[in-house]
Amino acid sequence: MVRTTRLLTFTLCMIFFCIAMAGNASAAVELYNGSITTGDGYQVNNFVIELTDAFPSAESASFYVYNNGNEVDDFLVNEDDSYEFDFEDDATIEVTLLSVSSGTLPVARVSIVLNNYLLNDVFESGVVDGGYKYAVYSGTPELKITKTIDKSDISAGDLVRVTVTVENVGDDKATDVIFQEPQQAKFLLYESFVSQTGETTVEVGESKTIFVYQLKATEEGTYTLSPTTATFSNNAGADFPQASSNSPVITVEKGEDLVNADIEFTTTLDKYTVSRNEDIQGTIKIKNTGDTSATGVTVNIQVPEGLEFTGGSGVETISGVPTIYLESFGVQQEKEFTFTLKAAEVGTYTISTENSYLYDNGIDAQLQKVTSDQVTNSIYVTKGKYDHLLEQPIYIYVVPLVIIGAIAGWIYYRHKQYKF
Amino acid sequence: MLNILIVGNGQCGNRILDAINREAFGKKSRFGKYLSQQKYKSNVETIAINTAVNDLKEMKFTKAKDRIHIPHLHGVGANRNVGKHVFEDNKTHIMRQIEERGNFDVCFVITSASGGTGSSFTPMLVKELKEKHDFPVYSVVVLPFREEGTLYLQNAAFCLRDIRESGADGIILADNQYLKQMGGNVESAYNGINDMIAKRILFLLDALDSEMMMVTDLGDFKTVMSGGAGLATIGFYEAKEDMPVRTAIQKALSPSGLLFSTDVYDEASRAMVIIRGDRERLSIDEISTEVEKLSSAVGHVFKGIIVRDGELPQVLAVLTLESASELENLYAIAVDAIKYERDKKERVSNVKEVDRAFSQIDGMDPSY
Repeated sequence: MVRTTRLLTFTLCMIFFCIAMAGNASAAVELYNGSITTGDGYQVNNFVIELTDAFPSAESASFYVYNNGNEVDDFLVNEDDSYEFDFEDDATIEVTLLSVSSGTLPVARVSIVLNNYLLNDVFESGVVDGGYKYAVYSGTPELKITKTIDKSDISAGDLVRVTVTVENVGDDKATDVIFQEPQQAKFLLYESFVSQTGETTVEVGESKTIFVYQLKATEEGTYTLSPTTATFSNNAGADFPQASSNSPVITVEKGEDLVNADIEFTTTLDKYTVSRNEDIQGTIKIKNTGDTSATGVTVNIQVPEGLEFTGGSGVETISGVPTIYLESFGVQQEKEFTFTLKAAEVGTYTISTENSYLYDNGIDAQLQKVTSDQVTNSIYVTKGKYDHLLEQPIYIYVVPLVIIGAIAGWIYYRHKQYKF
Repeated sequence: MLNILIVGNGQCGNRILDAINREAFGKKSRFGKYLSQQKYKSNVETIAINTAVNDLKEMKFTKAKDRIHIPHLHGVGANRNVGKHVFEDNKTHIMRQIEERGNFDVCFVITSASGGTGSSFTPMLVKELKEKHDFPVYSVVVLPFREEGTLYLQNAAFCLRDIRESGADGIILADNQYLKQMGGNVESAYNGINDMIAKRILFLLDALDSEMMMVTDLGDFKTVMSGGAGLATIGFYEAKEDMPVRTAIQKALSPSGLLFSTDVYDEASRAMVIIRGDRERLSIDEISTEVEKLSSAVGHVFKGIIVRDGELPQVLAVLTLESASELENLYAIAVDAIKYERDKKERVSNVKEVDRAFSQIDGMDPSY
């Protein structure tokens, strides 16, 4: 029984909490409970509830309601009576006259309750001395962002100038304006002339250029430029929905001046079957069949264990790797390098080369890097002419050496015997 | 096994000794000493003695320890008197070197009769050996070319006499004058003579210590050498292919096979003939015929036969001489040479022209 009671209490608390949280958007909130002097008003956003007359003797008062300085409603209420009028959207404001008192100017004590409105959306509330004429109203800035391009049909590698302007066609100053210009796929930012960074303001009716830049098309195709967006607030600090520009379409055709360096690497060996300890002569031919020169042409010769690099023309050993390096290599240029390998161990090997070079394709700002690998045919290293000697047992060598040593010793001994 | 001592005195003795040692290696090559051992049948000790160190250095096949240098400048200059003094001064050292090598059964002293060191050392060495030891000492003496000069002829004459008086058990003569018939230049002629003598001595040593079909030994050799006038010579011949042994014996006894010119059938006193070769080539009848022919002329002939399979017949004949007409000729020339040298010396001592020339400045001093 006790447990059931506790569960019920917890459930009710949770329901109350949910209702309370939801009340922020729809429940009634008393914005003001106080006095208003005749001629003054109470402002809620752009609405002003102005006390036009107060009648202490009749225990009543009359009010005018203004929206942006324009009268939209009026009412007369007695003490303890209320009047409700439409506010923004579906919201209403309920005014209850609590009391009326006399003085230099009669004063009415009121309660102002806001119904069905998010309290966070209330950007202005308070008593306004002098009534609606002295209230500060907030407007609605409206930013019109226009993105234009100087040409819509270009070739790859061509430049297109993009200009983004903004105009405030609303009735209030746009503040805290932040523009965002997204990067364009398949285009490179070639040069920027005007670039708006940070927060800015746009006065009513003001028009300004915020971005001017050039894009370079890299690939053929039809592309829609991403819109420029802006976040902003009005003069009263109210945030407004993000504004977006139009999205121009650019058609890019295949460029005629896209160039490539096309380098052929050919590795050949003078023989593919050698005996151990013999030399292998390798030749690397490099030819640029492309239409532009290359730089940083590099060939790394990967020599497997079992073969030894013994030297080569124009081949330097860098960090243990025989390397050919050419700073620049012209169009149709052809070069030949030779190197020598020694077959140190019996086995089957291949020589692989890691080739790379850079070139400027005339479009991209960065150099293009091309890498490739090559592998030669198999090299068969067979036993050397005298290898069988190494396979013999040790005594095969020791015995002749002992004999030779004995002969040498004998000759020396005899020489000393007969040397006078 | 016999213990044999061979001493080479002076340049000529050294060279013949070196040739013996080279022949003993069995190979003509200069590398023979590295490739083989000397093939002496006996225990042979060789000693080279010289006052000229360069002569000793030229020897290639004689061990360094067997070369004895007697310090006296570079040779004695063909002066036997100087040589005798040098020997006398170094006699102890020389004899000690010989005695360190043990006792011997026979000794050969090889020398030239005409030079300085050899001709002066040999008589004195023989005398010393004979005084201190009881083994026979034979001297192998090489006579000079007759045209080599008066000093050499004079030396040869006195040397031979001295050796004979020294107590030598025999003198084996080899005559350069006679052997020069082999021709060739001077060097090859000398080398040829040296080789010829070396080959004969080696054959003799081999024969004295070999098992034989018919025996000749050291005793026989002593008997042969004790005959005659104490002078001997050796004949040798190696048969050519298909040459009968009879012919080889005849050639060995003929003037072309002898080291000294003589008519063996006329001048020889005793003889020893040693024949070596393949059994099939040694005809006893032929050998007997030739030996009998020789013995009918000289009296007794010792005969030895050594059988060596596969070898062509080789004949060595040792002959002692009763007389030596060629030696008499040599001494006749030598007497003239001695007189010539004596007259020249007297002439020089009597003629004072040079002294008179020098006497003109007696008592004077140079002025500068």
